Amino acid sequence: MTATYIRKFRYAGIVMFLMLCMLAGTSASPADASDITNCLLCHKYPGISRVDEEGKLRLFYVNEDVFNNSVHMKVKCEGCHTDIKKIPHDTAKKVDCLVECHITEPSTETKFSHRDVATYLEKSVHSTKDEKGQPKEFAEDLPSCKECHDNPLYRPLSFFKSQTPGISEDALGRCRTCHKKEEFIYRFYNHITSRLHKTRIPLNIAEVCARCHDNPDIVARHNLSTRAAFSYGETFHGKAAKYLSEKIPDCLDCHVKKGTSVHQMLSHEDPRSSIHNNNRSNICSNTDCHPDASQKLSNYAVHAEFNLEQSKTHYFFTLFFIMLTGGTLLPLMGIIFLDLVRRFFPNASMKRRKK
Amino acid sequence: MADYPFIRIINGKKYFYRFTVNQRIQHVILAVSVVVLVLTGMPLKFHDTSWAPYLYALFGGIQAAPIVHKVFGSILVILFIFHIFYLIHIIYRGQILPMKKREGLTVKNVLLVLVRQPLVPNLKDARDIGDLMKYLFYFTNERPKGDKFTWKEKFDYWAPFWGMVIIGFSGLVLWNKEIATTILPGEALNFSLIAHSDEALLAALFLFIWHWYNVHFNIAVFPMGNVFITGYLPEELMVEEHYEYYVKVMTEAGLENEILPPHESHEHESQHEGESS
Repeated sequence: MTATYIRKFRYAGIVMFLMLCMLAGTSASPADASDITNCLLCHKYPGISRVDEEGKLRLFYVNEDVFNNSVHMKVKCEGCHTDIKKIPHDTAKKVDCLVECHITEPSTETKFSHRDVATYLEKSVHSTKDEKGQPKEFAEDLPSCKECHDNPLYRPLSFFKSQTPGISEDALGRCRTCHKKEEFIYRFYNHITSRLHKTRIPLNIAEVCARCHDNPDIVARHNLSTRAAFSYGETFHGKAAKYLSEKIPDCLDCHVKKGTSVHQMLSHEDPRSSIHNNNRSNICSNTDCHPDASQKLSNYAVHAEFNLEQSKTHYFFTLFFIMLTGGTLLPLMGIIFLDLVRRFFPNASMKRRKK
Repeated sequence: MADYPFIRIINGKKYFYRFTVNQRIQHVILAVSVVVLVLTGMPLKFHDTSWAPYLYALFGGIQAAPIVHKVFGSILVILFIFHIFYLIHIIYRGQILPMKKREGLTVKNVLLVLVRQPLVPNLKDARDIGDLMKYLFYFTNERPKGDKFTWKEKFDYWAPFWGMVIIGFSGLVLWNKEIATTILPGEALNFSLIAHSDEALLAALFLFIWHWYNVHFNIAVFPMGNVFITGYLPEELMVEEHYEYYVKVMTEAGLENEILPPHESHEHESQHEGESS
């Protein structure tokens, strides 16, 4: 009996699988060009997952629509997952972002790789090695690619009449005059216009940095003077970021020298750094921000936490206002309370009790 | 003044003139601007709370709310400057100029005029606070006999006055940071931010708890006193809060016979009502 049931279930399973395949085949979205090895045959199912050796539930679902709007849309699956040679495959290795993928970089016509980014990172304050090439203390805290990056989505911009998010049909019409492949047009439009502004809004940038820079353990281990994203959030810039403003500066706008890679972030002690004391005034007086700013404006304590350890004057100044507020309101609220009691119980009397 | 008799009698009830049209308009501008400034400022101070984004969105979010805040901030600064000129004008025209004609101008006389302004705190206020404590703790049934402006009203006047200096100045510094930091050090912006937001919270709580209790939520005036609209205070509130002044103005008006006894606890009040009817 049991064997029959299993057989029936197996047939039902096969039928369902075929139906699902048919449904997938009729879906409006065209099969992804990067999926020539047909990885989505399995990975298109939202439930695809397993519990790994460490007991963690791992999801392996790939949303085709999302992937096709991401910056890696042209990269084939095996371009990053180089260890997968057969289907069904064994446990895949972690992706190495520095691998040469199957994209050709058009200006040099060489295989594309993110190796240059790693070179910048090695020269930055986030490098795992010190100036002498020796491993730094707590090097495991320092970020590699995937600490900050996932597979980001394109954020196309339209410049017709006004600058608005999204793809402009007007622009596409112009592209189609010469270029015939829709996929090519979409990809180039997305790639170029996404690069003309930030792929992440200031709030998201601050959140990325906060993953380490607001972690009290990491802040303490590396002897950092502030929980950076927290103190940024206490300024108008940070608050505006919270309300999704894109016009205000995020971490990268001040901490990266204009025209250089964001990966080459330098310590404030490095004379080449944008936030070094000698260079700081150029940050605020950036033409996009406060063009009339003097040197003094940049001496504003931008990462103030208003606590005793960081600044006594800020702390006591804040304390003064807290005490003023408490000292004013508490007695007045006491009077309100007594006044209400007096009005609701008018006949009680201290004198009468004595009699 | 013909339109505004000092004591107006409507349906047998007396009303006492307290605020001129000019003062009432100043108060309405002050009230509306303060409310808008609090609503557009507090979502920034409390940006981490769940309600803040909704409140901020009502004023156009980060694109528009800061502009609304600056517009109403400017209105308040202009009102403050107007008020200072208004004060100088009425004191000079009403008191200093006649004094100059009468007995000549001396520093001592001018200072005496300033110190005796009805809104300047004095020893009577301290006595009134003491009397209020006795009343609140049931040691007596008599409320303190207030003058034209009680200590509560003086507090209501001077607290926003100080607040507007602090918040207005720090607000202007934060707004015009480039110009401000040509003179002030960069840290002035940090101190301005603390002063602006913390003093604003104090002012908002002070107004919405203390002032609104006295003029809206207090059971003697609930849901609100009309004096800020009509300029006239009804007799029972005059008796309750400003008895000393009430007796003075009634005597001056030749209405000694109609002076009501001082306000006492509710039980006594009902007895008085019984007697008068």
